Amino acid sequence: MAEPISVVSLTKTYPGASVPALKSVSLDVAPGTFLVLLGPSGSGKTTLLRCLAGIERIDTGSLSIGPRVVADGRSHVPPEQRDLSMVFQDYALWPHMTALDNVAFALRRRRLSRAECRAQAAVMLSRVGLAEFARRYPNELSGGQQQRVALARALIADTGLILCDEPLSNLDADLRERMRVEISSLVREAGATTVYITHDQAEAFALADHIGVLEEGVLVQSGSPEDVYNHPATPFVARFTGLSGELPVRVAAHGSDGTLELSADGVADGSVRLPALRPAGTPGRAARPATEADAPGSGLKPGEDALLAIRPTGVSLLHSAEEAPHLTGRVADVAFRGRGYEYAIDVPGLGRLTGVFARHRADRGDGVGLRLDPEGCHLFPADQKPAGSDTPVPALTA
Amino acid sequence: MTSLQTPPSALANGRRGASRFSPAGGGPAWLRPARFGLPAFWLILCAIILLPCACFLVLCLSPRLFDQGSQWFTLTYLRQSLTGSTAVAIVNSLWVSAAAAVMGLLIGFPVAWLAARTTMPGRRLVSGGMWLALLLPSWLPATGWERLVQQDGVMYRVGLDWPWMTHLIMGPFGVVLLLGLRCVPFSYLAISAALNGLGQEFEDAARVHGASRWQALRLIVPILAPALMSALAIGFAESISDFGVAATLAYNSNFSLATYALYAAIGNFPPSFPLAAGMSWLLVLAVSVPLFLQARALRGRSYAILSGRTRQAVRRRLSRLESVLAGTGVALFFLIMLGIPGFGAVSGSLLGDYGSSFSLTWVNYQALFQQSGLIGPLERSMVYGLITATATVFLGFIAARLLSQRRRTASTGAMDFLLLASVALPGVVFGAGYIFAFNLPIMSTLHIDLYQTVQLLVIAYVASSLPTNARVLVGSVSQLQPSLRDAARAHGAGAVVGWARGVLPVVSRPLLMAWLYTFCGVFLELPLSQLLYAPGSPPAAISIEDNLSNYHFGVGMAQSVLAVFIAFAVVGIVLGAYRLFAPAGWRRIGGTVRG
Repeated sequence: MAEPISVVSLTKTYPGASVPALKSVSLDVAPGTFLVLLGPSGSGKTTLLRCLAGIERIDTGSLSIGPRVVADGRSHVPPEQRDLSMVFQDYALWPHMTALDNVAFALRRRRLSRAECRAQAAVMLSRVGLAEFARRYPNELSGGQQQRVALARALIADTGLILCDEPLSNLDADLRERMRVEISSLVREAGATTVYITHDQAEAFALADHIGVLEEGVLVQSGSPEDVYNHPATPFVARFTGLSGELPVRVAAHGSDGTLELSADGVADGSVRLPALRPAGTPGRAARPATEADAPGSGLKPGEDALLAIRPTGVSLLHSAEEAPHLTGRVADVAFRGRGYEYAIDVPGLGRLTGVFARHRADRGDGVGLRLDPEGCHLFPADQKPAGSDTPVPALTA
Repeated sequence: MTSLQTPPSALANGRRGASRFSPAGGGPAWLRPARFGLPAFWLILCAIILLPCACFLVLCLSPRLFDQGSQWFTLTYLRQSLTGSTAVAIVNSLWVSAAAAVMGLLIGFPVAWLAARTTMPGRRLVSGGMWLALLLPSWLPATGWERLVQQDGVMYRVGLDWPWMTHLIMGPFGVVLLLGLRCVPFSYLAISAALNGLGQEFEDAARVHGASRWQALRLIVPILAPALMSALAIGFAESISDFGVAATLAYNSNFSLATYALYAAIGNFPPSFPLAAGMSWLLVLAVSVPLFLQARALRGRSYAILSGRTRQAVRRRLSRLESVLAGTGVALFFLIMLGIPGFGAVSGSLLGDYGSSFSLTWVNYQALFQQSGLIGPLERSMVYGLITATATVFLGFIAARLLSQRRRTASTGAMDFLLLASVALPGVVFGAGYIFAFNLPIMSTLHIDLYQTVQLLVIAYVASSLPTNARVLVGSVSQLQPSLRDAARAHGAGAVVGWARGVLPVVSRPLLMAWLYTFCGVFLELPLSQLLYAPGSPPAAISIEDNLSNYHFGVGMAQSVLAVFIAFAVVGIVLGAYRLFAPAGWRRIGGTVRG
């Protein structure tokens, strides 16, 4: 039965480290949710997962799995008593056991007979397509097969919580994609709550019901994949989930129609007029006025510096002079991508935009016009504090 | 328009051209080092390892071939070595070595575990202590123990009248104890390496999937099985081929071991080389079998558990009581292994040879510098050590380069086998082979009159050290990317500069450690020295043994203490110089970089 998870103000500092690995992380995960924790190396996602597993002890805060508090500042339930399973980054298959024995091991806690354990393990191995490899040792299996054995071991005990520690990071691109689909379907079939960590935003968006983004030990945003992509809470989240580029701009004026007029030193006439630009982090489908009160960029006033974060989907290369460009630049690089071309464009005085897609070809050095789509542009105050500053971190719900 | 088609002939010419003018080229192909280097190296290996040892071993089966008997083929000497006193010696060696190997494992495993996986106090000193023990030849602690417990020894002089202790140490128990303690560093190093590579994941995975701490430990012990088997095999091989304890404590306890029996077969009058060769066969067999089984077991269970993503294991925080118990246990072990024999040696060097009181005196050390013939052997051994270590590391590096080539040829395969088999040759067999081979009439005919010369002794030192050196260096050298040297050369460095700038820094530390290990080994080497030293030029170990066996205990112990001091001073100076003068980048590679 799927278990809910509740993490309250969890803080963890490793012995000898000066900076906490996790800073007051709070998170609620509903039963059966596939939660992906996304963040770069050192952001604390592995530490959070290991705290959930009981491999690491927490310093303060509390951690509950189902109705039971499994860790707080004083008590710590050991991993073997948390009734969960885990897929490790290196799979951690015991090298002296066959694939069958590795999988059967996870059933020992169910107090079944050895024969029953092995029979169920064989069934599970056939479910992951490894029936004929049951008697092989891990070093006789390919990376993908080892991955499947690790997955079978995690699934067989039918625990309410499955933890996945970057299980696809050691696989090549093609196999990674295939295994991603298998993990997604098998884990959802099992119906367990899943916490999956990765630093790959594409993998996160493809797998998750909910995503939590970690930065320097702080959970900076949590929400559905669409929310996180469309309404990034901070420049870091925007950056980590994929940007074409960032332009330093200044708010010139608020238009009566909800538009924001931005000025930028490098722009030809000193200003760029963007219709109905949404301040970053604002939930909602399309344009919101710049005065929206609950958004990070909502307080921006004329004359203030800001950061314009542009998704690849938020910028397009103009083919003809029919439309007025928002920005002009010069082609720094072009790469043929089959269905079209991907450009790197230098915008004089502002920087470089990458991943700009167009169906038509322009050559290196050509001057081009760019049009921004407010759906893919997010405006942040230029002085927005990074994660880990003294700002209180609100509890996030997945 | 540019054509993309290239005629096959042009490609072929291009390849030939590349071959002719490749960066490695520097003259006609047949003159290149690669062409004559391998045969020359094989010639050296045949001259110093293969022929002496092979001749000696074949002698047992065909004495007529060497004018040592009438039979072209016989098993008489092999049978003879399995009867009477030699059989007793071999049986003794077998059970003593097995017991020592088990003892080494039983101590080495927990010590390695405590040092690698817990917060035991003093854990950082354990590795240094093990290396210290490894650098000491086995006869040194043996003589220290002897001097401590023998009649009129230090123990009796301080008033401890414990004849039971004398009987205990001067007998099979003492032999097993000393050889077992000798095995501990080997076990420790083998198991530590495995523990370092084991990472935390296997234990975590077990616990996450329902195993208790104890069950998780039981689960991962089999993963260490290859290391445990290595520890047992190496311990057994080291013990059965040991000559230091056999010629000192065991001999003085009237407990016969195979290596000393072999030596006696040659040293007694009339010498029996065929019988010694028969015993050599048995010794080589006894060493080879466990090493072969271990190599086979390792091949079959290559778990390859070390990866770039291996998570460093978390040390278990010991409670105060556990810390005290663990720290005391390990300290006690070092006290028995190093402290007691060290105390025996140092106090023995500060006592007069006769009398029964514990009155300390410097007279033995004064004698070292006043009497002729006492310091000379130490100086001599130091020179032998310097020459041998330098030559061995040079040849060992070449051998390692040849063995680590990706393209495996019959020649490199044979060399690999020869060097691996030679590791299993006890020093005393090497020495006996040298005596026999370089005493053959054909040597005089060829004007190779090396028998009973210093040169032959040094060659034998090199030959016996080379296999181990090559095996040790092959690990580091096989990690060298050919592109390192190529990159240096492609960017304008000549062959020598390219090697010195691109390759040497990467292997400098292993080369240095191999040099030091060889130096220390040769400086106090016993079996080869015993069999091959030139008359009138005894090396350090022989001089010390002579003094001890002639009841000049004080002077002999003073020589031992001074010799150990010199050996460690050389180690300290060389490592200090490396630390001070080697470029920072050299020191980073292969060192422990703490993040």
